[in-house]
Amino acid sequence: MKKKFSFLTAVAATAMLIAGCGSDKEETTDSAGSGEESGYNLKEDGKLTYASSGLYKPFNYEEAGELTGFDVEIGAAIAEKMGLEPNPITTPWETITQSLLASNFDVIIGSMAITAERAERVNFSDPYYYSGGMIFVPEGSDEITSAEDLEGKRIGVVAQSTYDTAAKGYTDDVKYYNSDVVALNDLTVEGRLDAVITADVVGFEAIAAGLEIKDVGEPLWIEQAAVALRKEDKELLEGINKAIEEIVADGTYEEISNKWFERNLLDVDLEGIDILN
Amino acid sequence: MELLKTVVEVFLRTYPGFLEATLTTLQITAVALVLGTSLGLIFALMKISRSKILQTIANLYITIIRGTPLIVQIMFLYFGITTLIVLSGFWAGAIALGIHNGAYIAEIFRGAIQGIDKGQREASSSLGMTRTQSMRRIVFPQALKRSIPPLGNQFIITLKDSSLVYIIGVSELFSIANREAAQSFQSLETYLVVGVYYLVLVMIFTYLLKLYENKLNVDK
Repeated sequence: MKKKFSFLTAVAATAMLIAGCGSDKEETTDSAGSGEESGYNLKEDGKLTYASSGLYKPFNYEEAGELTGFDVEIGAAIAEKMGLEPNPITTPWETITQSLLASNFDVIIGSMAITAERAERVNFSDPYYYSGGMIFVPEGSDEITSAEDLEGKRIGVVAQSTYDTAAKGYTDDVKYYNSDVVALNDLTVEGRLDAVITADVVGFEAIAAGLEIKDVGEPLWIEQAAVALRKEDKELLEGINKAIEEIVADGTYEEISNKWFERNLLDVDLEGIDILN
Repeated sequence: MELLKTVVEVFLRTYPGFLEATLTTLQITAVALVLGTSLGLIFALMKISRSKILQTIANLYITIIRGTPLIVQIMFLYFGITTLIVLSGFWAGAIALGIHNGAYIAEIFRGAIQGIDKGQREASSSLGMTRTQSMRRIVFPQALKRSIPPLGNQFIITLKDSSLVYIIGVSELFSIANREAAQSFQSLETYLVVGVYYLVLVMIFTYLLKLYENKLNVDK
């Protein structure tokens, strides 16, 4: 008898432990009625909860347990302009749109590029940066010198990314990753991948970190990264567009961009280059 | 040797984040175990009850849960349930893990209860006990003792399976490892380090279980 109770007590004690420490994990499930003054429908009162994968250095990644990067800082600047507290979170890229639609956070600020297909399900703000889709190959490889050479090669990309769509146009042999960094890493392993298509900046960051890879040719296209929102959040879209306009006008944008890339990412000569949308 | 050096470097750099994530991993595991054990007990009793309906419900639950992958169940709960109630990733993951475990734990309990010699039950009824009384006082305490080793095993599986909830964005050990690897480009070392974290947790768990088993003197 006594022994049986000790087991049940142990279970009960565990339950208490959870109740104690689980409470700070509790998120407000009350999505209606927050941000009433502003008319925004926010997950948490007075906070802009924005998501990224957290696996996309230098745009969004974690350093010493803190989420940081260009996207994260732009998100914070946007939130502050709207009088909200920034609350960046991470969620896996493959399901990021579903999570947005399921109202697990307010918006995506995670280098999501505008595409027609995505625009059917979500609304996009004005672009907050331009980047090029670039081919990267192993350091010693000279097989691939241009996009034409990708025919039939094995290409690594992140699932559900714009690079994924591009890769499928060149080959049937596409390998999927949940992080561009892991894909780039695989270029350095003999015989795993012939090429990776990702954003130029992301590849350059990896090269700077000592990864033995190189870029090939010119960017394949220019894409526009924008904030993604649920279709019904029309006021929020206006608020965000206004905030983007303001941070560009008052120099906050340029400051953040220079800090990360030593140039202004919005200053791109779009002449004669294919713009993806 | 070079690898050892970088592994130590990665360990020293990552431990603040990993320790925090360890707590999350343990919390998810704890919720899943409490929920799983409760469900397991309920469904085990349903399965051995005399009611055909209860038996059918229990069989259905166990069949469905054991026949589908945990990661599918996690996704289903996270995206499926949100149309009814909004669950944070933490709770969705922990509940999915709990429901998943309930099916396995139900089978453990059922096996242990049915494994108790029929003579025990006959003896208690000849002492004038009702079916419920003999279950509560005679059969179940013995069955519980017998279920400790397989339960412990299931607990360890749960702890390791909790890594799957990274897919819905919970910052537990494995997802922190993914982020660390993405940040530092040191995949091999990072996953080696996170593996050690799991190993140590499982070893602590095993040790505690041993203590408890000895206290209960299972093999006597």
